[in-house]
Amino acid sequence: MLKIILPTIMLLPTALLSPAKSMWTNTTMYSLLIASISLHWLTPSYYPTKTLTLWTGMDQISTPLLVLSCWFLPLMIMASQGHLQHEPHKRKRMFISTLIIIQPFIILAFSATELMLFYISFEATLIPTLILITRWGNQPERLSAGIYLLFYTLISSLPLLVSILYLHTNTGTLHLPIIKLTHPNLPASWTSLLSSLALLMAFMVKAPLYGLHLWLPKAHVEAPIAGSMLLAALLLKLGGYGIMRVTLLMEPVSNFLHYPFLTLALWGALMTSSICLRQTDLKSLIAYSSVSHMGLVIAASMIQTQWSFSGAMILMISHGLTSSLLFCLANTNYERTHSRILILTRGLQPLLPLMSVWWLLANLTNMALPPTTNLMAELTIMVALFNWSSPTIILTGTATLLTASYTLYMLLSTQRGTLPSHITTTPNSNTREHLLMTLHIIPMLTLILKPELISGTPL
Amino acid sequence: MASGPSRTAAEEYRPNRYVSLPAELDPATYDTPLEKRRAEAERLAIRARLKRQYLLQLNTPKPPRVIEDPALLRWDYARTHNVYPTFRPTPKTSFLGAVFAIGPILFWIAAFKTERVSSAGGVEHQGAPGCKT
Repeated sequence: MLKIILPTIMLLPTALLSPAKSMWTNTTMYSLLIASISLHWLTPSYYPTKTLTLWTGMDQISTPLLVLSCWFLPLMIMASQGHLQHEPHKRKRMFISTLIIIQPFIILAFSATELMLFYISFEATLIPTLILITRWGNQPERLSAGIYLLFYTLISSLPLLVSILYLHTNTGTLHLPIIKLTHPNLPASWTSLLSSLALLMAFMVKAPLYGLHLWLPKAHVEAPIAGSMLLAALLLKLGGYGIMRVTLLMEPVSNFLHYPFLTLALWGALMTSSICLRQTDLKSLIAYSSVSHMGLVIAASMIQTQWSFSGAMILMISHGLTSSLLFCLANTNYERTHSRILILTRGLQPLLPLMSVWWLLANLTNMALPPTTNLMAELTIMVALFNWSSPTIILTGTATLLTASYTLYMLLSTQRGTLPSHITTTPNSNTREHLLMTLHIIPMLTLILKPELISGTPL
Repeated sequence: MASGPSRTAAEEYRPNRYVSLPAELDPATYDTPLEKRRAEAERLAIRARLKRQYLLQLNTPKPPRVIEDPALLRWDYARTHNVYPTFRPTPKTSFLGAVFAIGPILFWIAAFKTERVSSAGGVEHQGAPGCKT
């Protein structure tokens, strides 16, 4: 554990002290090195937790997410080079160090075996994200997006703190493996209902559940590319991970909570997919598509079967890679046309032919075409939900149909059609961008061959 | 029984399903109320300003690499950001909003619940969640 956390912390002096010329190279290479070392976490083990220390440990649920978060740091650094190139050097340094500060907190949050440590690092990721959005966003609306992000998350996580403290006084410990062993003797009363609601709500906002999702499209639209990637790939997964951890604690979830949350998640998947069909803003479309996918994750982690958990895990990982890739693609368009409006960025295939290959691949994975892990995840989740109650197939089926249609709409409107007349010159797509897309695609394509790495089931 | 002066052919003419009423034959074309004309003039002024803004960018000696179309930005702003300030809550919209926001969720809760209860033989299963038998 420490052999990843310590180098990640030491990335900060690397970014602050390395000479101006080699700053990008140093940080990117160093974080890529950390990412490649973190791959050894994926080695199978018969123990329930790997690399167990006093406060941290990794099991099958947290391992793929940890590797994913280590993988994304070099990608985020690489993606932000484009829009930072006109900034003075000091600001580039500050931007990179803001990105790096989040990383240890995310790793801690995913690997903590102590609920309080988890809570603290969960909250600590909020501050650098807020800085990323409100300082580095492009438009004045970023301030209201920051306020939305901050207050939605804070208001929902104060009850979480209270109920964690209550759990501590009740059971005497917050150590997750020990809590799992204690018998859940919460009587069916309003207080236990409210406390489990409080435990869930913070993660439901973070995930986000439909109805509590309003901060997400705003934050995504206003954030710089690294912020969008971070939100889509890691912070939403923090919410899903929290739901999976917490629902294991309060087994069985009371029926009062089951039905509303499941229905909201499934109906929300349907609603947000249909919202996508009428979006004018490319980034907002991708943001709503992640709300719809995370709705499936929430529904799956609420019903708590083996199948649904492994479906939720696979969907979290593959959605993290896919949506981050889509945001990167949207950002390459944005850097060329300075507009995220779909009508203004249409018909780019003749201009950037190689980039449209990445668009095609990203959209096909987003709509869960057969060989991808997205399809495995969606099928697993749909089967688990169908077993829970058969009418869910109506909702999940319609959501899949809508997902395919809005993804095709996005692909066709960005790539095909006539070129808008206002684009006079377009810079070519460069090697950095292609490398960025390749580093997203490679894990997606290779995970198809061995999905049990990310399925959350013991190997 | 003397009826009034007979109606002219233009007045007799009614639009049918194949031919719509041409604007020249529509009396509303000639006596538009003052507010409507003012609104039209305002809209024309806005359009002219937007076009001028666009052409100024286009016709500079060194045009920028990407020329922003102010009309499109305005349209996008009206569609995404300006919806909520200009929304007017009336009893009808409030009622319909409540129905369409809460109604489907209650419906699906009821649907899932009845299905689960009926398939478990009338009693809702309280054991390990997710498994029905």
